[in-house]
Amino acid sequence: MTNHWTDIANADVILVIGANPAENHPASFSHITEAQERGVPLINVDPRFTRTSAKADIYAPIRSGTDIAFIGGLTKYVIDDMADNLHNYNMTYVREYTNAPYLVNPAFKGPVDLDGLFSGYDATARKYDKSTWIYQLDENGIPVRDMTLTDPQCVFQLLKKHFSRYTPEMMSTITGCPQNKFLEIAQTYAATGKTGKSGTIMYAMGTTQHTNGTQMIRSYAMLQLLLGNIGVTGGGINALRGESNVQGSTDHCLLWHILPGYLKVPIDTDVTLAAHNLRATPKTNDPLSLNWWKNYPKYMVSLLKAWYGDSATAANEFGFHNLGKVDKDENYSWIPLFKNMFEGSIKGLLVWGQNPAVCGPNATQTRQAMCKLDWLVVAELWETETAAVWKRPEVNPADIKTEVFLLPAACSYEKEGSITNSSRWMQWRFKAVDAPGDARPDLDIINDLMKRIRTLYQAEGGPNAQAITDLDWDYDSHVDPRQVAKEINGYDLTTGKLAVSFGKLKDDGTTTSGNWLYSNSYVEEENLDDFEKANIDVMFPGPEYVGNRATRRWVDVGAGGYSAADGYKEVGLSNYWAWCWPVNRRIIYNRASVDLDGNPWDSEKPVIAWDNVARAWRGDVPDGGAPPMNQGGYYPFIMKSEGHAHIFGPGRADGPFPEHYEPWESPVENPLSGTQNDPTFKIWSGGLDVKGTPDQYPIVCTTFRNVEHWQSGQMTRNLPWLVELVPEMYVEISEELAGEKGIESGDDVRVSSARGQITVKAMVTKRLRPFTIAGKTVHEVAMPWHWGYMGLSTGPSANVLTPNAGDANTMIPEFKAFLVRVEKA
Amino acid sequence: MPKGLLIDTVRCTGCRGCQSACKQWNLLPGWGEAPSDEYDTSFSPTMTNPPQLNAYTYNHVEFYEIPKDNGEISWHFIHTRCLHCIDPACVSVCPVGALQKFDNGPVVWDQTRCFGCRYCQNACPFDMPKFQWEQAWPKIQKCTFCWNRLEEGMEPACAKTCPPNAIEFGERDELLARAHERIRNNPDKYYDYVYGEHEAGGTSIMYINAVAPEKLGLNTDVKKESYPDYTWEFLSKIPVEIAAIAALLGGTWYFRKKRLEGKASVTSGKEAK
Repeated sequence: MTNHWTDIANADVILVIGANPAENHPASFSHITEAQERGVPLINVDPRFTRTSAKADIYAPIRSGTDIAFIGGLTKYVIDDMADNLHNYNMTYVREYTNAPYLVNPAFKGPVDLDGLFSGYDATARKYDKSTWIYQLDENGIPVRDMTLTDPQCVFQLLKKHFSRYTPEMMSTITGCPQNKFLEIAQTYAATGKTGKSGTIMYAMGTTQHTNGTQMIRSYAMLQLLLGNIGVTGGGINALRGESNVQGSTDHCLLWHILPGYLKVPIDTDVTLAAHNLRATPKTNDPLSLNWWKNYPKYMVSLLKAWYGDSATAANEFGFHNLGKVDKDENYSWIPLFKNMFEGSIKGLLVWGQNPAVCGPNATQTRQAMCKLDWLVVAELWETETAAVWKRPEVNPADIKTEVFLLPAACSYEKEGSITNSSRWMQWRFKAVDAPGDARPDLDIINDLMKRIRTLYQAEGGPNAQAITDLDWDYDSHVDPRQVAKEINGYDLTTGKLAVSFGKLKDDGTTTSGNWLYSNSYVEEENLDDFEKANIDVMFPGPEYVGNRATRRWVDVGAGGYSAADGYKEVGLSNYWAWCWPVNRRIIYNRASVDLDGNPWDSEKPVIAWDNVARAWRGDVPDGGAPPMNQGGYYPFIMKSEGHAHIFGPGRADGPFPEHYEPWESPVENPLSGTQNDPTFKIWSGGLDVKGTPDQYPIVCTTFRNVEHWQSGQMTRNLPWLVELVPEMYVEISEELAGEKGIESGDDVRVSSARGQITVKAMVTKRLRPFTIAGKTVHEVAMPWHWGYMGLSTGPSANVLTPNAGDANTMIPEFKAFLVRVEKA
Repeated sequence: MPKGLLIDTVRCTGCRGCQSACKQWNLLPGWGEAPSDEYDTSFSPTMTNPPQLNAYTYNHVEFYEIPKDNGEISWHFIHTRCLHCIDPACVSVCPVGALQKFDNGPVVWDQTRCFGCRYCQNACPFDMPKFQWEQAWPKIQKCTFCWNRLEEGMEPACAKTCPPNAIEFGERDELLARAHERIRNNPDKYYDYVYGEHEAGGTSIMYINAVAPEKLGLNTDVKKESYPDYTWEFLSKIPVEIAAIAALLGGTWYFRKKRLEGKASVTSGKEAK
């Protein structure tokens, strides 16, 4: 989230698209309800009428996978309305804070000119040559801007041209959303463009899990920029993370292509640390751009020092060569991982807190892949489908040669540590009870494993053994999570004290930090601020936690941010509740919430404000401490090398503007262009990687989660109270489709895709309706994906049907739109 | 002062946290745990599960799909449970004093006294007390208003767990005022009626809704006066022999147990353990 949970209550309009917070983020609804009772409209756009839709003031159905057509229509509405009602929009924000005025290379062409493609496409490689996706530069190498936004090559005009095709008629043809619903939403949401108004967009996996999911999110972010909704209270682009600590695990490099703090994984051409830093550190010639990532080398060296300690020296490039280097252009995410396993090149797998046998796409192939392993280790609370993959119903266990180890793990209440929630808040959790039996905290399991592996490498050596043997790894048999949290924060090695913040990290080996973004989360008592020192006993739960800011639980809302005495409304920044990355900044890009003089656009609900007398910022921790732009400050989007937010986003694989493409499996031909699918996502083949066609599989299917069950279900399908609520796997079917097929609620129905088939109960409901797409009736059905063959409640897995088709930028699988056939069983 | 709960189904998101939290606090059986497998649920076409309130489910969320005039759908969530009448009929008919009304609101049953006559079931205008049909010595079961949490200064488990604050705990008078105020402030979102303000002479649990209460299964045929008067009328129609046997059994049990010292105080609400 750019903003945070509490801040949702500050919005003037809430748009929930590709998410179902009532069911998947139930606690968030206290903030939504608070806003609604002030008269704030809740808009919900979703293929299914969900429990969130039930609470919405305006609900609009769209066919799965057509978000860009819908948001593109909204964007066109806003751009057109800007021409007629300029005073309703904050054009200073658009001009000064985004790249809308930037002039783009005249050789750049877009889908209007190229039938759905951008310039530079190589159809064989399914890849773009992006050499035309560049700005025009002046003699100093600084992008040229047209502050009138009228030059036909400026980003704003290119955007206008790009979305000119997204008329209400075209929007409706693609999405199936009635035009009157769309216009009601467009009018309501566009009103947040007025200076001082804000709208928030809440999204989740309904948006990301598409072959062009990244571009869908881009379309939301761009709309927010046009409306001046980024950086302000009640605004932002807010990802509702699906697990309590998924933000934390992403920050700490859950994903293959990043190191902690979103540093880049070295590639084979990074022959030296210097070469790596050169590639990874963005540059700017513009003195007004702070370009925060220029500090990259400091964070990289501090990370290496945290991992390799004394053995990391300037002479050995701080142990840089201990890091694995991935092949350039190769992808190591979920789909290729399991594909390689299926093809036999991966021999062993450690599975921690996840259940691939149920949660992965193309589940049959995923299960077969795991049964080709030599060994499989699962650390879990229960014997999950993954741990039991060798004895799953359709196989003879004697045929499976994989050796499976099940390590009992402690659950969240049985161990201490931190989680980072969607708001980027690092919150400490204490242990409530001992884990049963031999179950141990993950930290202790990994510590034990690592020590044994190190002993083996020390004794026997092996390829790149130094990467293991040189590690600075000195934990007791029980790891103290506070020691780890301190290492993540980092140290100043010259004093031996905890690092104060990432601003003090260095690239000379004198500082450490396991994750630069978390530097400032755990400090020495002497480095606490005055307010913390004055309230030290209330702020921290005990002397052994002083300085651990994740443990802070200060609920007096007046204590942080603004108080009534400042003449401002409290906006719920909660500065002293837990700790928030970066440097406790609660709303990121908050310098875009003020005008060029530092005055808040919204004087009622400011994030920050410049105090001209004290010559200091009030409120949230500002993005960089420099004064306002008119007094020598920097452009507000400090993480972008140019300092301006990207309406034109040349970094993406599949185009600088979002374009509607159909899902990989779609019942219709793309009504917008001759380019059917996202042109750059990877198409897999072999095994069960087959594509279904609409003549055989005419019905759109999407997957979802219930509030009663969680993820792959191992935690909830074993709880009798929750099993009682939703005891069986089912498929939601509209009354119209059920009528055609002679299906009634409670009937067994067979749902099949090109990958497999499952038999489940039919839930016939008015909450799904057929769509009219390009004049044709298109049915959509929906299934929860919580079930599998282990636990108290068992049932078929929806993911037996889903395809291995991943997003062009992130490779997240397209769980949310694929084709099936539905028959009465 | 009598406590109450205000249930705002306009706020309710149907997460069923209340139904689960109730089971957790009261240690009620879930799937596969009740004494009879008749209680094990199966697929529900409406989401509502188990199908009805029962002896092991004191708090029951029900789902209503209601088409709107414009053809769109609306979906409502409401949980049913004992309403804890201010002047409860069940208490007045219980021959053995197993049901007590506490001054702070809860209508509480004492399992050790109940001998299963089911008068309370017949007397309750809301059909809330449920019977353990499958037990050898069946008892009446229903929402306890978490009286044992109230004693410790805590709110009921359902209110504590509710994410959108659709279940609010407080003084009944204040909740009633809040209910009317919320309806007044959002006339487009609320049906102008506080269910429980007058039903059966007034109940501790009150509802405000988006639609007329009868559309959400709330009994609007209930009289607006307190029920014990009516129940006496009802009891007078029960053959005198049955009433006498019940009274005799009850009396015998009562004296045999010699639990004079255990007599529940109807004034303090601190007893009945």
